[in-house]
Amino acid sequence: MSNGADILQNKRWSMIFRQHPLLEKILNNLLILVGSIFVLSIIVFVFARLSPGDPLLAFYGDALEFMGPAELDAARARLGLDGPIYIQYIHWLANAATGNFGLSLQYKIPAMDVISPLIVNTLILGITGYILVFTLAILVAIGCALHEDGLFDRIACQLGTMIYFIPAFWLGLCLVLIFSINLNWLPSSGAYDFGMSGNLVNRIEHLILPLTIMIGSHIWYYAYMIRNKLLDENRKDYVLLAKAKGLSKSEIIWKHSLRNVAPTIINLMAISIPHVLSGTAIAEAVFNYPGIGNMAVIAAKYHDYNLLMLLVLISGSIVIIASIVAYSINEVVDPRMKDTGVTVWEK
Amino acid sequence: MGEIDLSSFEIVGTGYKTQDEIVLKKSLLPALKKLPWLSIIVLSIIVSGCVFADHISNHDPTMYYLDHINEPPSHEFYFGTDSMGRDLYSIIWYGGRTSLMVGMLGMVLVTLIGITYGSINGMVNTRGDLLLQRIVEVFHCIPTLLLALLLLGTLGKQSVLSLTVVIAIVSWFALARIVRSEVRQIRNNEYVLAAKTMGSEFPHLVRVHLIPNIIPAIMFVVISSISACITMEATLSFLGIGLPLDILSWGSILSLANRALLTNTWWVIIFPGIFLIATLTCISSIANTFRKDTNKKPNRL
Repeated sequence: MSNGADILQNKRWSMIFRQHPLLEKILNNLLILVGSIFVLSIIVFVFARLSPGDPLLAFYGDALEFMGPAELDAARARLGLDGPIYIQYIHWLANAATGNFGLSLQYKIPAMDVISPLIVNTLILGITGYILVFTLAILVAIGCALHEDGLFDRIACQLGTMIYFIPAFWLGLCLVLIFSINLNWLPSSGAYDFGMSGNLVNRIEHLILPLTIMIGSHIWYYAYMIRNKLLDENRKDYVLLAKAKGLSKSEIIWKHSLRNVAPTIINLMAISIPHVLSGTAIAEAVFNYPGIGNMAVIAAKYHDYNLLMLLVLISGSIVIIASIVAYSINEVVDPRMKDTGVTVWEK
Repeated sequence: MGEIDLSSFEIVGTGYKTQDEIVLKKSLLPALKKLPWLSIIVLSIIVSGCVFADHISNHDPTMYYLDHINEPPSHEFYFGTDSMGRDLYSIIWYGGRTSLMVGMLGMVLVTLIGITYGSINGMVNTRGDLLLQRIVEVFHCIPTLLLALLLLGTLGKQSVLSLTVVIAIVSWFALARIVRSEVRQIRNNEYVLAAKTMGSEFPHLVRVHLIPNIIPAIMFVVISSISACITMEATLSFLGIGLPLDILSWGSILSLANRALLTNTWWVIIFPGIFLIATLTCISSIANTFRKDTNKKPNRL
């Protein structure tokens, strides 16, 4: 992300901001956030409106055939489909600013109301999966880097590549086939059994299989990247120095290599969020888990594009915010990346 | 001057090498041995099986054998039948045609869009570069699957072509980024400047200098995009928003899997999946040979 410094060219403003670097940083990030979400909304809107599907048909179904031209115009105006596309967009944006994202064409209630109860479920699955994927990926990568070309490394490389290329939905089907249907150990669908939404054990039982396929389909991609980064790091001279000082292998990895790779890992974690969100959507759809990913699939099936636009906007915004957070964390972790705002010759 | 007595000298540091030996002539054999032969053989078996599906299959793929519903693998139906009474062995070969076609066509489209956008992005001035990059970045923020769902949700019933176009539209961003950074590197080189001063036009520059130089860098991504497109097609068709049941593909065959779970008929899930995974793994290991080996230095750990 750019630091938006060119926007702050004005001398007086830059004076004020120089005295308050935190203020400047927050404003910069806000500018980036608003700008990105604005562009995102344009893209989403144009994509949804330019596709040849007829939203009127999706909303009214067969009743459309019995409408006269005046009724059709009224229906278009009601759904915000009249006028040229930029007028439509401005209307939509004005409504969206007040939290009104239009009616869900399928459920005939505001799109926000359809989604809001599902977000928590998705966040539970997504965040748990995300943390597990990266913890395990880092551990596997360290294990591989410790024994390069050793038994563990080779087994992990072969097994990891194989599992990575198993499509997530198929892995999910096989797990359901084995663990729910034939062994009857774990439930195959939903987030909790009927009437047991507060029961933690029941929820965890429902999370195990979706989490397994999320981990299975993502872990090796990231573990392999971190492993290669670690191996590159282990080829640098300071590792030789640390070894000469008498540090053990694991000490070098944990105290030196891993710290130098940390910014890369954080960047990777930020970039991976859309990838992991896609994985969440597949896991939810396979296990019929009530989350926004599963809702997106259902919405796509019924051509409910108001709902889809909102879902894409929400997930896009999550990713943008996360990448800004990652950038800020990186500045703390790796001082080399910090933009001090004061150039050397001004001091 | 007396004669130099060689025995009074001692050679030190015999093992010392200032640089690695450079092997100038490589024989073809090691290069051939490095190729992933197993993958190539398996992939060519699958591909030729799909091409000659008419000769291999022993049943009509469009027929519903209603008195043989959900039959386990037997000597008549090698892979069993699904819940609509279709012979799995036959429809897998025919379905492979569609899946492989989606993969190849998707790869072509992704490469075309990616190279075009990436080259333009790499050639424009700083401000244009910033703008074009931001656009790709914002697209990157949307999960691929959701973007595909958004496009498919507004489209009607899918055909192979429309689905492939959608898949290509959502998966060219990574390639465009790589092409951009390669182009940025190349365009500052002297030979491009020399060509410009000699009066070469932009299309000529792209054709003669740019594309041959970026091909090694993008080969891995391009070949991997085949398997990415196949996976995407299978996932979307499985979810019920890709190809309809009557257009056979590995994904649309697997879209019956939810019904198969209810009846516990494992063969409907396992066999198409094995074909799918075998193809994906083979393609990826072939793509891996195009990856440059970077870790040439010795490990210091």
